Amino acid sequence: MIRYIIRRLLYMIPTLIGVSLLTFLLFFGIFSPETVARRNLSAKTPTQEQITTWIKEHGYDKPPVEQFKRHMDSLLRMNFGKSDKTKEVIWDRIHEGALPSFELASLSFLVTLGFGLFLAVVAAYLRGSYIDSVTMALAVVFMSIPIVVYVVGLQFLFGKILKYGPIAGYEPGIWGLRFMVLPVLVGLVSGAGYYVRLYRTFLLDETGQDYVRTARAKGVAENAVLFKHVLKNAMIPVVTTTVSAIPTLILGNLVLESFFGIPGLGSYLVNAISAQDFAVVRAMVYLGTLLYIFGLILTDVLYAALDPRVRLQ
Amino acid sequence: MNRTGSLRPRILFIVTLGLGLVGCSNNPNPPEWNEDGTWYGALAADLTNLDPNVSYTATDGVISDLIYPSYLHFNYLKAAPWSVEPNIGLTEPVRVPFKGVTHTDKGDIPFEGERWDFELRHDLMFQDDPCFPVGKGRPVTAKDMEYSFKRDDNPKVEFPLEGNLSDKVLGWKEYRKGFEKNGNANYDQPFEGFKTYPENPYKFSILCNQKYPQLKYIMAMHFTTPVPREAVEKYGDGFKLFHPVGCGPYKLQEYSPRDKIVLVPNENCTMATYPGTWGPGVPEEARQDAGKKLSRHRIVVKIIVEPVTSYSLFNQGYLDTTSVGTTNSHFMLPATKPGSDMTKRGITIQYGAYPSIDYCGFNMEDNVFGGYKLEKKQLRQAIALSIDSKAYIETVYHGMGNPSEFIIPPGLAGYDKGYQNPYRQYDPSLKKAKELLTEAGYPNGVSKKTGERLVLNFDTYVESPIDRARSRLMTKQISALGIQVVTRDTTYPTFVDKTNHKKIQFFYWGWVADYPDAENFCMLMFSQNVSPGPNNTVYNNPAYDKLFLQMQAMDDGPQRNEIVKKMRDLSVEDCPIIYLSENQFPTVFQPWVKNKFANPILNDVLEYRAVDSKRRQALQNEWNAPSYGLLIATLVIVVVGAIPAFQTVQRRRGRTVRKPAGGEKD
Amino acid sequence: MIWQNIQANLPPIIVVALFIWVLNRSRREVLWAEAYRRLRKNKLAIGAIAVIVLYLGLVFLDSVSWQATKSAEPRSAMDALFQKPFENSYSAPLASVTSGEAVEHKLGAKHILGTDSVGEDVLYRVLKGMRTSFMIGGLSCAIAVPVALFLGLIAGYFGKFVDDAVTFLFTVFGSVPDILLIIATVMMLGRGLFSICFALGISSWIGLCRLVRGETLKHRDREYVRAAKALGVSDARILTKHILPNLLPSVIIAVTLLFSSLALYETILSYIGVGMGPEAGSWGNMIDSSRDELTRDPIMWWNLVFATTALLVLVLSLNILADALRDAIDPRLRTE
Repeated sequence: MIRYIIRRLLYMIPTLIGVSLLTFLLFFGIFSPETVARRNLSAKTPTQEQITTWIKEHGYDKPPVEQFKRHMDSLLRMNFGKSDKTKEVIWDRIHEGALPSFELASLSFLVTLGFGLFLAVVAAYLRGSYIDSVTMALAVVFMSIPIVVYVVGLQFLFGKILKYGPIAGYEPGIWGLRFMVLPVLVGLVSGAGYYVRLYRTFLLDETGQDYVRTARAKGVAENAVLFKHVLKNAMIPVVTTTVSAIPTLILGNLVLESFFGIPGLGSYLVNAISAQDFAVVRAMVYLGTLLYIFGLILTDVLYAALDPRVRLQ
Repeated sequence: MNRTGSLRPRILFIVTLGLGLVGCSNNPNPPEWNEDGTWYGALAADLTNLDPNVSYTATDGVISDLIYPSYLHFNYLKAAPWSVEPNIGLTEPVRVPFKGVTHTDKGDIPFEGERWDFELRHDLMFQDDPCFPVGKGRPVTAKDMEYSFKRDDNPKVEFPLEGNLSDKVLGWKEYRKGFEKNGNANYDQPFEGFKTYPENPYKFSILCNQKYPQLKYIMAMHFTTPVPREAVEKYGDGFKLFHPVGCGPYKLQEYSPRDKIVLVPNENCTMATYPGTWGPGVPEEARQDAGKKLSRHRIVVKIIVEPVTSYSLFNQGYLDTTSVGTTNSHFMLPATKPGSDMTKRGITIQYGAYPSIDYCGFNMEDNVFGGYKLEKKQLRQAIALSIDSKAYIETVYHGMGNPSEFIIPPGLAGYDKGYQNPYRQYDPSLKKAKELLTEAGYPNGVSKKTGERLVLNFDTYVESPIDRARSRLMTKQISALGIQVVTRDTTYPTFVDKTNHKKIQFFYWGWVADYPDAENFCMLMFSQNVSPGPNNTVYNNPAYDKLFLQMQAMDDGPQRNEIVKKMRDLSVEDCPIIYLSENQFPTVFQPWVKNKFANPILNDVLEYRAVDSKRRQALQNEWNAPSYGLLIATLVIVVVGAIPAFQTVQRRRGRTVRKPAGGEKD
Repeated sequence: MIWQNIQANLPPIIVVALFIWVLNRSRREVLWAEAYRRLRKNKLAIGAIAVIVLYLGLVFLDSVSWQATKSAEPRSAMDALFQKPFENSYSAPLASVTSGEAVEHKLGAKHILGTDSVGEDVLYRVLKGMRTSFMIGGLSCAIAVPVALFLGLIAGYFGKFVDDAVTFLFTVFGSVPDILLIIATVMMLGRGLFSICFALGISSWIGLCRLVRGETLKHRDREYVRAAKALGVSDARILTKHILPNLLPSVIIAVTLLFSSLALYETILSYIGVGMGPEAGSWGNMIDSSRDELTRDPIMWWNLVFATTALLVLVLSLNILADALRDAIDPRLRTE
């Protein structure tokens, strides 16, 4: 197990280099250093001399290979430096943005999962009944509506008609959770359908297994079969699919963050992309990759821990 | 059955909990701040830079101008025409002509220069800040103005209007070179164009090598605010955003990026008063505080990028005015038409005059549409005649604004009210436009020579619904001539890049004045300003240039207006630009706002406005009574729908099955 | 002129012909014939297929065009049938005057679903959006599926170095946020249908590639593959003739779901400002424009409602079809 983890961690290095190379190529494929300089300089019509100085100062005049080496070097040391545009220390912004992002992502994730699992259990338990059909039908319908519609529609509904809870903003702390109600709700209605369907399949797959039949045949109570045996075993695919979704949460939810005014990392990255602030983009992508890969390793480890049949090699 | 009974309290509990959670007040602001007169504003974009010598966007200006006052400032109650008055200046600047010589290799060249004398108020103090000894603010002197002015000249600082001063202020270019050699040590060297006086620490002069009437506007911008050298040296890059130190009425207390900015009164600043004079059309209501000292309160400015969010918050009463940033305020226009729900609640809108125009332009170097031959001119004139400014204003600005006839907007000296641009008089039958198009060699949009349809590439940025509507409207109108319009839409940064490299054919653009002077608009066609400068049509007419150089050094007056007229007649015939609209910047006020007056040329408007907290509280409560009907209905449906499920659970409880799985049905 | 017109209409006709040929061909295969039989019994699935066929028909109408003379603009069959003259501005469904304007204008024609900001018929815009939706789904899949299939198959089959390389590739692409990948690609290639499809294609092959790789891994050690290998069948043949057909059911289901998620993704692209151009009919753009329209008084709800409905019906049908296919192809997976 430990050897496996170490090996995976070693594999991480080429991946990180690959991701940084891709970001680097994408960024400088689109923008020439001159364009980036123009965009980041405050002067209305920067002189050629100012542009050259800027490019030189930020090291964008060196040959690409050397630039890339420099980028990689600072990234591997987690030394993200300062933003090209505002000159703020990138780590400071990451520190500030991490909490709101994490709050939104984890809350919306947990609520969505919890609700999804609950409905899936209900539907699986009452399979074939009208509640099952209604739940599944609603799940598909809710999945088929674009998130932008939910965002626009729910904010309109809550803001103009219902008037419960604040419609946008952020505040740290317990009382600040009220700001999360609406974004989490949007996350729930747009995301739960997928999980309901997925988990119901897992549960029903388990119900068909031999051991369940045996248990039933032995005369174990129906509810006990479901909650003790089926649910326990169905948790394996549930947990692994769940954990594998965690990495995608780390950069936060772009649409929700920008629409509900939550100062998280997702909006930070998107702002940086549109402001052509390469220093921030590369740092955020690097950090995202790092966490993503940790998430993948965690998934594998958890999988092995939960399911004795799986062995890591 | 007893067990089912025990479920009821549980359901009730869940229902109350749900209602309690969701039904909590929708006020996003802390309740205690609601009472002490805190002002709630919003910006449509995050801050980019508060450094007074650099800060350039309108959204940054809202904050930076409260911290950094300028020598002169615009009177809050005078709009179109605007007027600048002393702010931290004790006196109006005094202009003294003098004769000088420039020493060049070829010999001395005499020039007729102008010296501007200024004197600062004597009671100015910087805000308290750890960068000063003991953390106490110190008095402001002309030395701080000098430091600020020298910073403008430092190429590393990136002063945005450098081009305006570089050929006019004495010694500007030489001093700039000094920074390359000596770095920051250069700040200790004397500057030929800036003079201080040992006998009077508050007096200073700026020397120009020509008459430069626009200097008064430069002195009304935060680029020339006193800057404490201690702060710049202590905070370095931090001075840009997180540690601004100024002598204005407010100081920055908190800035959380992408979230909010909190400003509190600067107790060291005692000067600000509400203007005692006003222009025509100022409502009685806005004059009540005339001449009085300004009341100070906390200012919270939220960063709300999404227009719908800003609209909803305003609609609920949690913002006192609409946000700064064009699109966000325009969002409010349709909702504030007479008879709408908002106007019934006492919300008012004011169309603030602002020197700015929207226009379309041709790339004058383009093979098909550019050039100065008669048929090319006719081609451009025909297209100009096909665009209906009124429809444009209706679609893009919801009817707010006026059709523009020439580059100079109203409120500026040189604006000719009665002028009608012959190529901007839209006629739905397009008779004249079609004639011109035929004369240009494209009857009905089809080339006489090749028989192919004329294709016009419309380069524009499209990022929002309004951008799309605007672009489709242009296509709809120009296609009526038979020309095929191809929209080459990009994101904004790419579009800017394309214009800088002249890779455009026909484009849409707007110009917002730096200062209210005709020169700031006429220079859009001055050939020395071609892309990447602001002259994106790459218009180059030596006759126009000659007149421009003449007018820029003149004071406002009939003579100057005559020259502007000549420039107008030249450029209108060449038709590089299709004028669309003279814009206004609307401000929407809540009923509890005091001193309502929209004067968007001022960045520091928040200084003058205040709220009636009691009234605000009352109306907020009235407007935000939650409606529980829908929530209860939903809950009822869910609960009723779930009853059979509960019954099934009850029935199955403890039940065992001896049937194979899957064969079971309820 | 006639020849040019025929030439211009070749691609849609070829696509339709190919489609019919594939369907016909597959009916002869045992596995698929069985699936068809089961599919026919599923009424919901028949409904979903009917909706999709209707949409496809409309897309076809919008894809065939006719250019009368050299200088005329080509008009599609859809334009000829549904295009209406512009009105001045917004008008509500079935209204007779415009709304939201300072001075109301009389409308020139009846608009069943109203008109939008520049006065264009909303029904026409909704119908135009279908082609965009199908093009985005189809083209992106056309880019993503071959790449994913090829890489997934070789990674799963050959293992070792090849597998490492492919895993590396999709971990790298999977770690770069989609949004960066898409914005960067669209900025690099310029806007337009093809660059959007390319962007979506390169960001969506990863999931499918993982699936194919996993499935191939499972099949690699099955008896039939071992037998083929023992008989000396070439690797390429084993992959295409033996393994690929066994993967097709799960790939087809995955592609159907991918198609529907791509149609949904278009709205996000419009929202972040890298979507379709202003002239193109696009549900994403229509939904995005509702941000401006919902704040009006009176509220202009029709763009939002009708575009969402059209998209909902499509995505819903695709999801139902995917479920039905799953049930039909592989009865073991039946969940009901």
